Amino acid sequence: MDPSSTVDQNLPEQNQSVANVYTPLANRRDEAVDRGGQLREEWGALFESIQRHGDGILTKWRNESSRISRERGLAYRSESIHGSAESTAGWSLDPVPWIISQEHWSAIERGLQQRIRLYCAMLKDLYGTGRMLSENLVPSQIIESHPGFLRSLYDCPPDARRPGLGLVAIDLARDNAGQFFVLNNRTDSPFGVSLALENRTVVNSVLPNLFHRNRVRRIGHFFVSWFDHLASFSPPENPHPSIAILDANSMDEDSEISFLANYCGILRVIPSDLTVRGGRVWLKTVGGLKPIDVLWRNIAGRSLDPLETGHVGSRGIPGNFEALRKTNVAIAGHPGSEVLQSPGLFPYLPKICRALLGEDLLIPPVATWWCGQKRERQYVLENLSNMVVKSVGPHREFETTYGSLLSRDQLEDLRSRIESRPEKYVGQERLTFSTIPMSSSSGMTPRGAVLRTFGFHGRKDIVHIMPGGLARLGTTNDVVISTRLGGESKDVWIRHSESDSLVSLPKELRRFQFAQPETTSHAAENLFWAGRNAERIDFISRFLHRIITGRMFGFYHDPDGELQHENFLVKALYTFSGGNASTVESQSNGDKIMRLLSPDKKNFSLSRQIDHFRRNTSATREHWSTACIRAIESIEHDWADSTRNLTDLFAFMPCLEELQRNLAAFYGINHDSMTRDHGWSMLESGRLLERCVNITRLLQFRLEEAIPDVIRQLIDESILFLFDSFGTYQKANRAETETRTIFLLVLDESNYPRSIRFLLNRIQTALAKLPEAGDEVAHPVEYISRLRSGLDACCEVLHSDQDSTFPVNAAAMSARLKALEEDLYSLGDNITKAYFNLIGEGRK
Amino acid sequence: MSESSAIRYRVEHRTTYAYQGRNDLCHSLAHLRPLENSTQRIVSQELNISPEPAYHSRRNDYFGNAVDYFSVETSHEALSVLSDVVVEKFPTQGTQISDMSVGTWNGEPPPLPKTDDTGIRLSDFLIGSRACPLIAEAREFVRPHLIPGTKLTEIAGGVMSQVYRDFAYTPGATDVLTPLKDVAGTRKGVCQDFAHFMIAGLRSVGIPARYVSGYLETIPPPGTKKLRGADASHAWVEVWMPGAGWVGFDPTNDKQPGNQHIKLAHGRDYFDVQPLRGIFIGSGSQALSVEVDVTRFDKEGEKATAGRL
Repeated sequence: MDPSSTVDQNLPEQNQSVANVYTPLANRRDEAVDRGGQLREEWGALFESIQRHGDGILTKWRNESSRISRERGLAYRSESIHGSAESTAGWSLDPVPWIISQEHWSAIERGLQQRIRLYCAMLKDLYGTGRMLSENLVPSQIIESHPGFLRSLYDCPPDARRPGLGLVAIDLARDNAGQFFVLNNRTDSPFGVSLALENRTVVNSVLPNLFHRNRVRRIGHFFVSWFDHLASFSPPENPHPSIAILDANSMDEDSEISFLANYCGILRVIPSDLTVRGGRVWLKTVGGLKPIDVLWRNIAGRSLDPLETGHVGSRGIPGNFEALRKTNVAIAGHPGSEVLQSPGLFPYLPKICRALLGEDLLIPPVATWWCGQKRERQYVLENLSNMVVKSVGPHREFETTYGSLLSRDQLEDLRSRIESRPEKYVGQERLTFSTIPMSSSSGMTPRGAVLRTFGFHGRKDIVHIMPGGLARLGTTNDVVISTRLGGESKDVWIRHSESDSLVSLPKELRRFQFAQPETTSHAAENLFWAGRNAERIDFISRFLHRIITGRMFGFYHDPDGELQHENFLVKALYTFSGGNASTVESQSNGDKIMRLLSPDKKNFSLSRQIDHFRRNTSATREHWSTACIRAIESIEHDWADSTRNLTDLFAFMPCLEELQRNLAAFYGINHDSMTRDHGWSMLESGRLLERCVNITRLLQFRLEEAIPDVIRQLIDESILFLFDSFGTYQKANRAETETRTIFLLVLDESNYPRSIRFLLNRIQTALAKLPEAGDEVAHPVEYISRLRSGLDACCEVLHSDQDSTFPVNAAAMSARLKALEEDLYSLGDNITKAYFNLIGEGRK
Repeated sequence: MSESSAIRYRVEHRTTYAYQGRNDLCHSLAHLRPLENSTQRIVSQELNISPEPAYHSRRNDYFGNAVDYFSVETSHEALSVLSDVVVEKFPTQGTQISDMSVGTWNGEPPPLPKTDDTGIRLSDFLIGSRACPLIAEAREFVRPHLIPGTKLTEIAGGVMSQVYRDFAYTPGATDVLTPLKDVAGTRKGVCQDFAHFMIAGLRSVGIPARYVSGYLETIPPPGTKKLRGADASHAWVEVWMPGAGWVGFDPTNDKQPGNQHIKLAHGRDYFDVQPLRGIFIGSGSQALSVEVDVTRFDKEGEKATAGRL
């Protein structure tokens, strides 16, 4: 995809004019083009390639980049500060990188290293020696009022066994004079490190030759060092440390870190996967409790142990701080790091740096005034329309506000807000950020940019900085730059004179993977439900397909017969999809069908089922192959995209067919490539259990509904269709459909993969792989014989009832099907009890 | 003060959680071991937990209180924690707060050292905390008492008395999660609410104040009034003053804490010193019951005749 490969290697890198493809803003510092309109050297190869191929190449790159991003499932759900996460915007990547020369980067790197050493010293001081507070290096209120200052860890300073700061993100921006400033620092589970890796992967695939020829520094080594660092905190007697990435306890968002976990094969867990017993942290897996040595924390430190922090609204991992205190678990970073994020500390950093490190601060923070002090407050209030106002406490408590964007009334509101609780706010100088070229289909335009860098403090006082990072572009008003509020991202290339050695992360990081791939209880539950929900989507879509077929072509019955047939299907569908049929009783069949097809996830619609499926699969991302993720993305996106704004029932037909094809691909890929581990057992048993339930329920419905003779044949054909068994039946039975034979086929035919008889064998095979469930709970495979007896009981009626007017005794048949259905639910409950909750005595 | 004039109390503080279903795991933090200071000494203490915890550790917290962490890891239908403590109180030598030589209000708060004499930073007791946000109602409540030249003991005493007069002691009107703003509105509550309100008021004008949890003698000696808050654990306030250090005020009883007050722990507010906090993992709801008995020994080893509540 990189056409630059065809270009001569001797590039005219000096004093290139690029006015034909890119013009910076007047009086604004630009990262690619200098004041004299000359291209900076490090950008030469890139611009040469663009000039040679013309603007059209940008569109090609962008298309290619979004195709790859999407296939990788790279969508960052922008999370509103106010909690409604409904508006989901795709993570948008501009494939044109921000290029920085190694020479410039070295200077930045030194500043970042110092910054991180400083924050480490501050963390040690806050939870140890306490000089910052006792020597008045900072107003104590800024620290003491911050909910991220965890008094319960006052006796747990970082040391050789207890990690200090984890990964730190530092946002840099350059002003018009060319000076870099620190805008933000994120010391508490920063966002974006996984996206930086994803962006790199995507851009590398779009521009492989440019990447190679620019000798771009590789970021893989950074991650290897990071995991080495994590592993160094495991108990010395443990040759194979168990490291897990602790992720947020949220099913609603696609997690950023899951991409990294998936790519590197590192176990990702959420708080409810973990439990503390005996002052140790354990992982709840399908195979019992497994000890955890090191956690890479990606959730807020203060939500980690609600027992000790009293943090409301989080379940966390109660008892976790005791394990940390006793160094029975290492948590990176230290849970008390959030307080260091406070921009309230900015004005005092030069003084703190001199006191704790004996050095002058290399990269200054953006000018900041803490409103808790009179003179500073006055200054902020007098210049409010030019200020960026931020919270001194957690940054989500108050959305960063740009004075220049406010109306007169809004400014007054802000003023009185600050005046009533001044100590909660800082004002910051609004910088004019330097610009970088942003690509679009119509060429390149300058856009303000912020550079998010990442680093950590390793052993022997070595600070590792990722050579690169995550660049973010301003939105059109050119002020607001936030990862969470839109704006495009870019890869960052550090251009070196020599090439870094290659690094394969999955290979390098293999030694940090769990000895045996563990299926956590939480993953097990989601895989089980992914199977069940996929089957539900399939079943509902078959219903809808059949109903619409009837409307499109008819089934050669009189209008009354067609209507009764449709009534049967609609009623059955509403019974199965869990919708309360009585609330829609007055609606026409057409409305009822549209309701199920609508994108509204509140109703019992197909979209809702797909949404459940999406949550299950995104919570278990690391269990899917790349090909499978593609199929999952298609199931979700194709349906949403192709049905958007559809109002004509018939237009849904191809969409339903596509959905079924995507589901078939999902099944097929997994069947072909998924390791037959505990996770597979869950997916498989969930899906097949659901299928069995659907069969028993539809057959009961068939027996219990009064069906006029004239459409009996048609109904039975539809039932075969819904079970995807029409063809099979016709091949085996040339004659007209006969109800009893249909029942026999879908219940008892031992060679037919869609019969319950066959499905039970498959469920048995899947369940047999699962480990013992503990003393109090039976192994689920023990339920199979009971299910077989229930099936035999159903078949007994079928075999004895040879009357052609089957069923003679519908009530008896229905009752036995009902009993079988109940037993299937019991199996589901048993699986839940045995593997999802891990209650009772810990199975260590 | 001499050992011989000491009063001995036995405190039995029983907390029971009865669950609807079974519980499989419970993590708890307990602030149930009384502090030792110049007015009280621990003679003996036991913490009896049933079922037996699988893990139990003890440490001191940020504010110098003893705290127990334990986890019960067997399936159980009820959890009971009995703290059985014998404490010796040394009668105060009748130092009335009016006799104390302390700083005065001179239009602004008195200058403060960084820490108290135990090394705890006073600044922690000047800012809002979870249960003591610095609400305007509390500040306005205190403001009329700030007459220049007034001793801080008088200011705090005046605020205490006004809380006692203006707020109705109404068990059940609030719970531990009732916001202070609501208490300020209804003027109803119990000892915790009164303590929080008084603390918030003093802090918001720059006077350090902290929350104290403790006990009161259940059945007072004949002829003495039974104090409010004696049937459960009690709460009052300590105010820091130049010249005197921390001075206690009990707004629930309009009284300076004395021989009948047994101090358990201190912190910024209730949540720092919650006697027992637990997180349960299991199904079903739980019913909590707390019983506190504080009985006086007439002489060593012999329990007073007063019956239990």
